[in-house]
Amino acid sequence: MKKLIFIALLAAVVLLSLGCISSEKKSENVTTLRIGYQPSTHQIAEMVAAEKGWWAEDLKPFGVTEIKEFEFPSGPPEMQAMLAGDLDIAYVGTAPPISAIAQGLDAKIVAAVNINGSDLVFKPDVAYSGPQSLIGKSIGTFPPGSIQDTVMKKWLQDNDVPVSEVKILPMGPGDAVTAITAGKVDGVFLPHPSPAIIEQEGKGESVVASGEMWPNHACCSLVVSGRLIRDNPELVEQIIKTHIKATEYVNSHPDEAAQIYSAKTGQDLNMVEHSVETWDGMWVSDPELQIPSTVEYARIDYEMNYTQRELTEDDLFDTSFYKRVILG
Amino acid sequence: MAVDDTLILPSFFQVLEALEQSWQTIVTDDLPISLLHFALGMGAGLLVALPVGMSMGWFRVVDRMIDPIVEIIRPIPPLAWIPFAIVWFGLTNEAAGFIVFIGAVFPILINTYVGFRSLPKVYVESAKVLGATRDADLIRYIAFPFALPSIAGGIRIAMGIAWMCLVAAEMFGVSTSGLGYKIWSYYYLHKMDYVLLYMIVLGLLGLLIDRSFRYVVEERMLKWRVGLTQ
Repeated sequence: MKKLIFIALLAAVVLLSLGCISSEKKSENVTTLRIGYQPSTHQIAEMVAAEKGWWAEDLKPFGVTEIKEFEFPSGPPEMQAMLAGDLDIAYVGTAPPISAIAQGLDAKIVAAVNINGSDLVFKPDVAYSGPQSLIGKSIGTFPPGSIQDTVMKKWLQDNDVPVSEVKILPMGPGDAVTAITAGKVDGVFLPHPSPAIIEQEGKGESVVASGEMWPNHACCSLVVSGRLIRDNPELVEQIIKTHIKATEYVNSHPDEAAQIYSAKTGQDLNMVEHSVETWDGMWVSDPELQIPSTVEYARIDYEMNYTQRELTEDDLFDTSFYKRVILG
Repeated sequence: MAVDDTLILPSFFQVLEALEQSWQTIVTDDLPISLLHFALGMGAGLLVALPVGMSMGWFRVVDRMIDPIVEIIRPIPPLAWIPFAIVWFGLTNEAAGFIVFIGAVFPILINTYVGFRSLPKVYVESAKVLGATRDADLIRYIAFPFALPSIAGGIRIAMGIAWMCLVAAEMFGVSTSGLGYKIWSYYYLHKMDYVLLYMIVLGLLGLLIDRSFRYVVEERMLKWRVGLTQ
């Protein structure tokens, strides 16, 4: 019996030591395009392209017969799905792909989705008079490694505010909105539409936009799997073309885009319109706009030991498709 | 597959390496916080579940009054209570303890109730013949000792659920350390070797506490049962 247990343990150790065996999938035609996104006004372009049928219509000539959308509450689970090979493209904040690519995700950022777009919101009874106001305050924001956490900490450091003197509480957007609504934190730093929700409820006031903290910082981007890039470059080009078309449409028809977003997510239309009107973000598609800040995020991630190596522009971006599309 | 093998299942040696890197943090930062959350939840669970379960098991009127409330609340997942935990307790250790409490309270309550309800009538009648006529005496000397094995079983189940709830309890900003918080935090960074390490630590801690509990309860308090089924 003891011998059997020993053999079983040994087998388990060997198996664990080897890790799992990954198999390289052979190149194949993509008939179903799996798109990941989050219910954020930052990513309205994806929703507009989906609701107007542009994904299906534009990608049909490339053999894509089915579009499958997957909604995620935040970037990390979305990247986990991509790591598992369950997504072909992802609309996602720029930070989660950095840690995922550092851990072996075979994917690249091929286009930008938006820049800026987060607000520091204070409770109505908490006065704000500059970055120094945050000393001793409790601020709810996304966990370490997120764009919000990185942007806020850099802003504090740039303004000589010791990060250790601000009580930064890592949490999700829903929990942060609940916390400030219940008056349990002094402020939150969140991407839109959460600041608009808080303002509309009269539970807080936006005091600094993230674009003031770090002008034109990268926020969401379009990530495409390496398999798609290698095996279906024409399809990737078309995906970018459709993304550009949707982004331009959102910029020229913000009210209709807000309606599409509201209908898709069930969020109050007035609140969405308020968010779209008041945010400091911009819907963009040129990846060059995101490169400097994204490379800086990667450097900070490496310094903070969130990644084991410092990722470069080449590790993170493939701008060749966008350039080809723009040059025609 | 868009991924190397590490992300599907980190190897034994990768987890060992993660342990080498972070064992000090686990011991000094994470374990104390998680044990605090666990103790708060389990302590509150025991304080609420034992008297309520005993009252429900002993007094039919209490059973009829409280049972519907218990059965309405019991199926609600502890995760669903997070917004109320934030509103009621703020972003405090008590809020995390509350989530653990929600997971732990019902197994103890139900097992206490069942233990009391299965008390044979002949025991009560014999005790009354011998002079224990008050409810308090009957509960203390007859019903509680009889129900103790069932209560102990409930506590063991509750401890298992409490550890499960700990991960949810530490994901909404109550602390920046703790075994549950670190599982989320490393998952956000896709460091699956660390995620697995913390999962293993959580499992081992659960095993250690369960064994300690069983030693105290089964080898000491329930020693009289030896020979019946063991």
